Amino acid sequence: MENDALTFTNVSSGYKHRKVLDNVSFTVKEGEFVSLIGPNGCGKSTLLKTASSLLKPLSGKVELFGRDVMHIKPQVRASLLGVVPQKIETPMAFTVSEIVMNGRISLSGRWGAFSGRDHDVVERCMIYTDVSSLRDRYFTELSGGEQQRVALAMVLAQEPRMIMLDESISHLDINHRQEVLQILMNLNREKQMTIVLVSHDLTLSAGISDRFLLMESGSLVKAGTPAEVLEPELLSRVYHCDLHVQQDPYTGFIQVSGALDTLRRRKRLGKQVHVIAGGGSGIELYRRLLIDGFEVSTGVLNRLDSDAEAARALSIPAVLEQPFSPVGHEAFESALRMIDACDCLLVSQVPFGSGNLINLKLAETALEKGKAVYLSAGIEERDYTAGKAANALFLSLLGKGAKPWGNIHDLMAMLHAGTEQSV
Amino acid sequence: MDNEICADNRFTGKARSKERLRLLLFLCAVPLLLIFSLMLGPSGIGLPDTQTGAGNAIIYLRLGRLLMGMITGAALAASGVVFQALLRNPLAEPYVLGVSGGAGLGATLCILAGSGLLSTLGLPVIAFAAAVLTLMLVYGIASQGSGGHPSVYSLILSGVIVSSICSSIIMFLVSTASVEGLHNVIWWMLGSLQPVSGDQQLLSALFVALSLFGIWMLSPRLNALSLGRETAHYQGVNADAVIISGLLLATLLAATAVSLSGMIGFVGLIVPHVMRALFGPDHRRLVPLASIGGGTFLVVCDAVARTLLAPVEIPVGVITALAGGPFFLVILQRRMKQAWIA
Repeated sequence: MENDALTFTNVSSGYKHRKVLDNVSFTVKEGEFVSLIGPNGCGKSTLLKTASSLLKPLSGKVELFGRDVMHIKPQVRASLLGVVPQKIETPMAFTVSEIVMNGRISLSGRWGAFSGRDHDVVERCMIYTDVSSLRDRYFTELSGGEQQRVALAMVLAQEPRMIMLDESISHLDINHRQEVLQILMNLNREKQMTIVLVSHDLTLSAGISDRFLLMESGSLVKAGTPAEVLEPELLSRVYHCDLHVQQDPYTGFIQVSGALDTLRRRKRLGKQVHVIAGGGSGIELYRRLLIDGFEVSTGVLNRLDSDAEAARALSIPAVLEQPFSPVGHEAFESALRMIDACDCLLVSQVPFGSGNLINLKLAETALEKGKAVYLSAGIEERDYTAGKAANALFLSLLGKGAKPWGNIHDLMAMLHAGTEQSV
Repeated sequence: MDNEICADNRFTGKARSKERLRLLLFLCAVPLLLIFSLMLGPSGIGLPDTQTGAGNAIIYLRLGRLLMGMITGAALAASGVVFQALLRNPLAEPYVLGVSGGAGLGATLCILAGSGLLSTLGLPVIAFAAAVLTLMLVYGIASQGSGGHPSVYSLILSGVIVSSICSSIIMFLVSTASVEGLHNVIWWMLGSLQPVSGDQQLLSALFVALSLFGIWMLSPRLNALSLGRETAHYQGVNADAVIISGLLLATLLAATAVSLSGMIGFVGLIVPHVMRALFGPDHRRLVPLASIGGGTFLVVCDAVARTLLAPVEIPVGVITALAGGPFFLVILQRRMKQAWIA
């Protein structure tokens, strides 16, 4: 129980021109049931591929049961680690039992012959995963959930000491999901099999896992017990949405929810937010503001700027200036009229130069008219004006009561708090 | 052999006994068809009288062609099985990766260059070397920018391109050849089972036997690879090693077939499909069955080719497609589902 099953030491990994995992370190103990969670594209599948030596780490070391995974013979590795991929596909008409038989390849004799024991194991694994009635069916003709159970049977037939499942249970119906999880829990408890489950169902995983590993854009953000990792603030930041975590004080049952709250916000808030953006810094703000029910206006932007294109696509009212021209008097005046109508003003992470510095005057005007103004932090690195004029203006605005914001999640929280106060 | 158990396990009950019957019929049909092909020839139908010198010579000649057909057909069909499994594509065959084209180019150069030792023992060796060079070229082009693991599509695409370059060069060589060389090359390009020298037959038989054995050893891993490189890797298969050795063995087979009998199409593509439709895709059975099936099919086609318009001999490649095509289409149409579902 105390042995290390899988150890990542400062592992960076990825593809030729794209690093996905960045300096990841963690340990999974033998006999643990670990859930690997994180938003789409955060590197969970890459982590699985690196753990099984399908991807060679760019730096760092991956150890499987104390041995460097790059130096383990393929047959031995198959007896240590089995991976259930997201989907397996074959163009040929293999039957289910032929597919499951593949799990025994690394254990078959020199001549590739399978023994009676091989057949017994395959039989047992098919019964275990409830696919033995499908044995003569063609694998390709099965439903997605049935294929997943066959894939699990194939991996179980390897008799590995550790199993990693890559979002394999998400295709299953509720009945078979419970069954498969029950199988995994039994293997974990009775045979001390180590299990790493990539999961999107946080509530379900919380009930069965010893530990959680939370990933965000290639890094491991937090490792710990379900209660430690499933913090509302941490999850909301990583998943970029409001999540609620409730723990039953008696049973310890943890429930993560978010959908209802987001739905309630879909209604219009009747609040107008003016966004000062440019160069693509506004797109994500527009999206989040619209989703959360705000009315959005924006400007002054140059035509052909990616934010101007986005505003047009999203039907956001925008004040536009000619391409690559400094903001002129006429545009500034119409932007001022928009400021009059808005409830608050946001400055995105747009760089400032002599051409668009005048946009900050809009922020000053808004502040003078008693509207809330939110400035993105870190202006020093985006200030291209002569004599750091933008920086100075930022400081004076902050002195007059403008609020700085760092990440979009905090910003949205501030905006909602602000609107509720004024209501 | 333990493999028997696996064959039994494919289906239970009725389906299994049906499949057993099919296998039994096939294994009985093979020797009958081979004997039948010995009875056909331009000198008349029926087994020649072995008491006379002429009869002896005829049976000897027919046995020689039977041997040539078995070697060539088995090599082409097994090569097709491997290409289809590794590329996971029903259109894959020895021609598609440019391997046959490369071997053909090597052989053409050899034939046109002259006679002597070079064209006897040298032919299969040079054909193989040219085929391997082509394979490396195709693999190299397809690997560009893929991190060393070329995708199936880039392999097939670059294979088709290299293949057509090879055939252009062959055409060019043919157009500039002397009259005597021209006849040899054209006859060889059409495909023919005219026995070659004993040495070359022996060498080719050795190549083919070794390659078939090697492929049969790989066959469980070919099963795993048909689930894709990633899944095979998880099963403990050294995917890259299997892909490369599989491609090399299939290339050796295709090059040997080309150097023995020229460009005979159809066998490498269709026989694997039909065998898969009849006996399932498990490569442990498919490799030996396709070899036997491909060999027998080519022997029968050759017997028909030399008899039909006797004393004129029709190129065997014409018969494989003309007679085999409709026959195999019927089988495939009825049992396609049992072979590929894509």
